[in-house]
Amino acid sequence: MTDPIYITGCGVVSAIGLNKDESLNALLNNKSGVGPLAYLKTEHKEFPVGEVKLSDAEMRKLLGISENAITTRTALMGMLALDEAMKQAEITTEMLPEIGFVSGTTVGGMDMSEQFYLDYISNDAHKEYISVHDCGNCSEMTAKHFGNFAFVTTLSTACSSAANAIILGANMIRCGEAEIVIVGGSECITKFHLNGFNSLMILDTKPCRPFDATRNGLNLGEGAAYLVLESEKSVKKRNAKIQAVLSGYGNACDAFHQTASSPDGEGAYRAMKEALEMAGINTTEVDYINAHGTGTPNNDVSESQAMKRLFGDNVPPASSTKPFTGHTTSASGSIEAVFCILALQNGFLPVNLNYSQAMDDGIIPVHQSTKKDLKHILCNAFGFGGNDSSLLLSKFEQK
Amino acid sequence: MDELIYKLKQEIIEALNLEDMTPEDIDENASLFGEGLGLDSIDALELIVLMEKNYGIKLQDPTQGKEIFKSVKVMAEFIQKNRTK
Amino acid sequence: MTNKEIYVLSAKQISIQQPLSEEWMTNPTLYDVPFSRSIDPSFKEYVSPIEARRMGKILKRALATSKEALKESGLETVDAIVTGTGYGCIENTEFFLDALSKEGEQLLKPTYFMQSTHNTISSLIAIQTKNHGYNATYAHKGISFDSALYDAYLQFKLNKINSALVGGHDEMTETFYHILRKGGVMGFDNEICGEAAISVVLSDKQENALCKLAGHKIIHQQGIDSLKEKVANFLQENGKTCSDIDLILTGISGYKENDEAYLSETKTLFGDRPLLKYKNLFGESFTASGIGFYVAAQCLKSGFVPKHLFVNEKDITDKKPNNILIFNRSDGTNYSLTLLEK
Repeated sequence: MTDPIYITGCGVVSAIGLNKDESLNALLNNKSGVGPLAYLKTEHKEFPVGEVKLSDAEMRKLLGISENAITTRTALMGMLALDEAMKQAEITTEMLPEIGFVSGTTVGGMDMSEQFYLDYISNDAHKEYISVHDCGNCSEMTAKHFGNFAFVTTLSTACSSAANAIILGANMIRCGEAEIVIVGGSECITKFHLNGFNSLMILDTKPCRPFDATRNGLNLGEGAAYLVLESEKSVKKRNAKIQAVLSGYGNACDAFHQTASSPDGEGAYRAMKEALEMAGINTTEVDYINAHGTGTPNNDVSESQAMKRLFGDNVPPASSTKPFTGHTTSASGSIEAVFCILALQNGFLPVNLNYSQAMDDGIIPVHQSTKKDLKHILCNAFGFGGNDSSLLLSKFEQK
Repeated sequence: MDELIYKLKQEIIEALNLEDMTPEDIDENASLFGEGLGLDSIDALELIVLMEKNYGIKLQDPTQGKEIFKSVKVMAEFIQKNRTK
Repeated sequence: MTNKEIYVLSAKQISIQQPLSEEWMTNPTLYDVPFSRSIDPSFKEYVSPIEARRMGKILKRALATSKEALKESGLETVDAIVTGTGYGCIENTEFFLDALSKEGEQLLKPTYFMQSTHNTISSLIAIQTKNHGYNATYAHKGISFDSALYDAYLQFKLNKINSALVGGHDEMTETFYHILRKGGVMGFDNEICGEAAISVVLSDKQENALCKLAGHKIIHQQGIDSLKEKVANFLQENGKTCSDIDLILTGISGYKENDEAYLSETKTLFGDRPLLKYKNLFGESFTASGIGFYVAAQCLKSGFVPKHLFVNEKDITDKKPNNILIFNRSDGTNYSLTLLEK
């Protein structure tokens, strides 16, 4: 058992809402945000997606950013989520010079590069967008909107980026490098990765059905979420209100294939096991697992195996919230961590929408609205290349 | 048919970036996946792209590839039968 | 927290200097072009042609430097693999973007896409070395390598790991170089842009080490006064005063604005301590600071600092350094301090 890391604020933006209240409402009422494409310009209208229901211009307006400013969709969504997280934790601009910011993204400014690439090669139009292509720039742009952080860096481990950002932030606090680190991730849908996932033939033309026998791929989503991680010392000093506890985390590599998960879920198994060991918690104490559950044939078999290996015949209630939001890729780790915090605080199990029949060798996910007092939740995020991470989020109980 | 097989071998070498290989190195009856050439699921996706690009054959389900990509010969026969260009 | 010592067991590079060798110390390859791709070794020894069929240059280089670094370290396996890369696999990204822009959204090749994500490098090393340990990738401009190093550094201090393979990998294509120049990202004045592949093995065991990693810190820009205070704290935490630092390795590159900032800030921060540079030989890239780490480690190991590394002629000396402080200034936005000791 190690020193707890407290979560004193969080913010989330996704297809099911622009903040925690909207997200909670959708989760409790089983209202999915996945639907026909509305914002991204692409030929592939056949794929349902979980888009954030705002244009870039609308986001800029909400944030008070001028129309002509150079921005990327990933950074804009990040700012919205960061704003909510900072407000809940009562973090002011004046405090930022002592606070770290760790963000996860893979797409970075690709939404602009894919529009202007031919210009970049042949003329000077839009050349001001070249410098916002890289992932680091997105984090810098997001951070700068609020002020001057003490530390800024970017994790890029594909779909586990945000989860790994949370892990780095927690390690920084435990090392005494900072008392507060704001962590999470952001990612918009781009034509680039929509086409990429399509070339891998893992997109479903119907709403995704994780852990279902008929599952046939994922739906892409987008969004951002940030969590304010804080040391006990700082919480006491400024009398901050604790929302939840990050009591453990694990990161392991499946080391199997660049885009496929191993049949026995080795990486997932190790990541979850490490998170439990770090928290000093038995498998029987886990009340709910927010699965990575993308809805691809391969992920859901592999993840089910990992859960069965770790929990035996007593796999806790588990579900994937991706039918609500689509797969929010690099941001999924923090978006789903915020959903877990909402579940802890409001005592319910998020439903695995679109489930109807059991898959071979799979888990049977939560498919009915269930009220339940929850103490410990495992939250999984796995990335291409087997970058598997798992977070253990716990309810804060006054001792 | 022999001509198609030879051309297909060339296209496979190019599409899969099998540097240092020549069409002569590929046995048209040997398995493309597993024991034979040792290709994997991503190569199968590349071959699906190749068939659509060069021969106008569209496969919707990646699992169909299993039968078609048994060997270069089987693949050539399938192309012969189904090509639209 | 532990007081675990961290040693650098090995450091290997592939760059615009002779690959996997320290020939640059005595016989550097000199360039009068603004951009050059790396000098590649034969990769057959590190990866079979059939396995390499989908790998871009950046991946082959990463495997070669990683496998060489692991071999020299004598460790069979490491507890963590952490990589920094500013742009990731930019060549495959470019292929995919190009096809997407010119040929449209049909018939795109999955290989280009699956290699475009930044974490392809770290995960490929794990797959090839069958390593299920901690695995992460950082992509943050000129502190990409430094961030990877920082992650490993914290985990040593938390006693979570006893060894790590830390890498810095960036590739650059002709097209992308011109795009970045156009965008004002790099390629200014007399700067040479190159590619960097660097792998280092860190361990808590001292045996045959090149040097010790005594301290490492990353700082986000908040003005020179704040920087001064943080540098002073860093030195103090490491039991040093400014005059104890033998050499300061800077990122002076031939880009006037960058070089002037380095000269003025090092003067304010470190007075007249002797300055070194390495980008004149290895070029600029987002993970150039990884090369800086490698250069400093090799100088400490050999006790020899080539005269072409000295910024000022007056500082040239045969004296063996006891320590080198790597002062990395990325765009004036992010800084890192890395103290290596004999």
